[in-house]
Amino acid sequence: MNPRNAVVVGGNRTPFVKAGGKYAMASAQDLLTAALDGLIARFGLAGQQVDEVVAGAVLKHTRDFNLTREAVLGSSLSNHTPACDLQQACGTGLEAVVYVANKIKLGQADVGIAGGVDSASDAPIVVTEPLRKALLALSRARSLPQKLSALGKIRPADLMPVPPAVVEPRTGLSMGESQAMTTKKWAVTREEQDQLAYESHQKLAKAWDEGFFDDLVTPYLKVAKDGILRPETTMEALGKLRTVFGKDDPTMTAGNSTALSDGAALVLLAEEEHARAKGWPVLAKVIDAQVAASDYVTGSEDLLMAPARAIPELLKRNNLSLQDFDYYEFHEAFASTVLATLKSLEGQGLSAVDRDKVNVKGSSLAAGHPFAATGGRIVASLAKMLADKGPGSRGLISICAAGGQGVVAILEA
Amino acid sequence: MARDVVELKELPDVSKVLVKALTGAVTKKGRRAELPNRSYLMTSHEQDVARLAEYCRVTGFTLRDEVPATWLHVQTFPMQAALMAEDAFPFSLAGLVHVTNTMTLHRPVKVGEKLRMLVRAENLQPHAKGGTFDMVGEIHAGDELVWSGSSNYLASGAKVAGEPGEPVRLQAPEVAPSQQWRLPPDLGRQYAKVSGDSNPIHLYPLTAKVFGFPRPIIHGMWTHAKALSSLGALPEAYEVKVQFAKPILLPGKVGFAAAEGQDGGWGFAVVNKAGKPHLVGELGPAAS
Repeated sequence: MNPRNAVVVGGNRTPFVKAGGKYAMASAQDLLTAALDGLIARFGLAGQQVDEVVAGAVLKHTRDFNLTREAVLGSSLSNHTPACDLQQACGTGLEAVVYVANKIKLGQADVGIAGGVDSASDAPIVVTEPLRKALLALSRARSLPQKLSALGKIRPADLMPVPPAVVEPRTGLSMGESQAMTTKKWAVTREEQDQLAYESHQKLAKAWDEGFFDDLVTPYLKVAKDGILRPETTMEALGKLRTVFGKDDPTMTAGNSTALSDGAALVLLAEEEHARAKGWPVLAKVIDAQVAASDYVTGSEDLLMAPARAIPELLKRNNLSLQDFDYYEFHEAFASTVLATLKSLEGQGLSAVDRDKVNVKGSSLAAGHPFAATGGRIVASLAKMLADKGPGSRGLISICAAGGQGVVAILEA
Repeated sequence: MARDVVELKELPDVSKVLVKALTGAVTKKGRRAELPNRSYLMTSHEQDVARLAEYCRVTGFTLRDEVPATWLHVQTFPMQAALMAEDAFPFSLAGLVHVTNTMTLHRPVKVGEKLRMLVRAENLQPHAKGGTFDMVGEIHAGDELVWSGSSNYLASGAKVAGEPGEPVRLQAPEVAPSQQWRLPPDLGRQYAKVSGDSNPIHLYPLTAKVFGFPRPIIHGMWTHAKALSSLGALPEAYEVKVQFAKPILLPGKVGFAAAEGQDGGWGFAVVNKAGKPHLVGELGPAAS
């Protein structure tokens, strides 16, 4: 039997914007449906059945238990299109791509859509634990005294809603606070971080100017371009920002850390022959992927550096060295995450990465980072870059995620 | 016949207009009916994304760049209300019953598009219970007609000369309801906020009683919008006709039945527990 290749056909995303901004009124389902609408329009999928749509969101309401299926039902895909919600923090989008690619390779699907959405504006607000318990007791109560007793247990402070916390449950530290420890440990300087942030904005702005995103992004709610992008920013301006994470000698600012964002991104994948028969572009093959996790809870390892464990394993299995790539996509959760990960890889005896090949069309610092949407953004952009570069060109994707996890993957044109 | 066109710089404030249109009952009674020979025009209307988002949430639509056809009707509503509140308008809003609505989406309309909106009243006809007329709206984007709509109203007790014609009746699809909708008591207030139609019959039990309803009733145009959003993906262009058969009291529980016809068209109905229709509708290709 001939091996089946899973290929990236194309992608579509909404422009990304700052949380609480232009998409403040849109739900995660609205955003995901908008990204799906654009993908359907781009590839003429209206009325058609896709073998599976897989997506997820990190900040998720309980009402969105079938988020992706609901988006499918709201779209013009055939209602016979099944869907699955998948979640692995910021690795969600890339994990969804891996899930679909694996099904395609196994012969369980010919065409699939993968990606994710996040709306920090549509984050679920929940009730306090004492209020939840009192309300449960109230619903069980049969007699009036029982009901009054349940109500009597509620204290005024219990009535305050609980917004979602962006802290790691096991360390109580926010991602920025954890990353500040990593930044210090790996001696990443303020200037290196600002330089990376500056270049991210420069490169993303150039990509927009060149029309790179014309067939990757569909405008949404009067927004046509990523809202966080600051083409006019300078090293001086970035250098003046006050630090927000870390204590002694802090170096991390709002400029070299990603902003909370809203947006959705999806990728269309297909079995290679199937794609060719349909006359679809074949941008790049999904070659292989690897997940890993770091032991960060007691501080012996870093929260956001699991990719530094996953990459060597992935390279070894594929008989590749770290130099065998034309492009590298290191998700910029924070500028220092990318820089510390590169230092760690080099420290493991892998020779240095050519910085000119890293995030050449900009990354999350400039584009924004709606958690689960980042994987879809990166896969679609990288696949297009590899197709432009030509057959045989290869790219490496690295995405860190909460919980000390990391997902990495190889694409090849 | 040349019409007198009144150009509006901004949309009328519906709450003020409504008071006038409703109280018109006192002064307008018994007059011989004649529609004002006048159109209202707004040359550049910008759609409000936040308002659209709320509209979609209340009516069940997904918030997308392409707006629902019923949203476009809502855009013209303040102009319709202002026209009906004019001294020259022969009927009081309090005595009007929305009987049917027909609208055509000629092509997808985006929320970012600026709209040129025109409304007028026409086609006064005798009816067994009084007279009927059409509130007609047209929306252009640039030079292109993108939406047109017509709301047929019955003015009970109006004096219109001539013999009443046969009323048009739409047929409900002969299928069992596949959906159940639960309408909360404040739904009329929610829809009033997003549509601008704060007619008191939709708001509170007390204000509804003043106008002879035991409880508030939901806006017919909410039911219309909810029916469209409940069909799932809609064609890029379409014509939809609905007939308002019986008001839905709030709070309420109703069924929704739909059957797919040819050309991707639909027949649908919103029905009560006994299967009697509150609304009957048909969706089909846009007449060019």
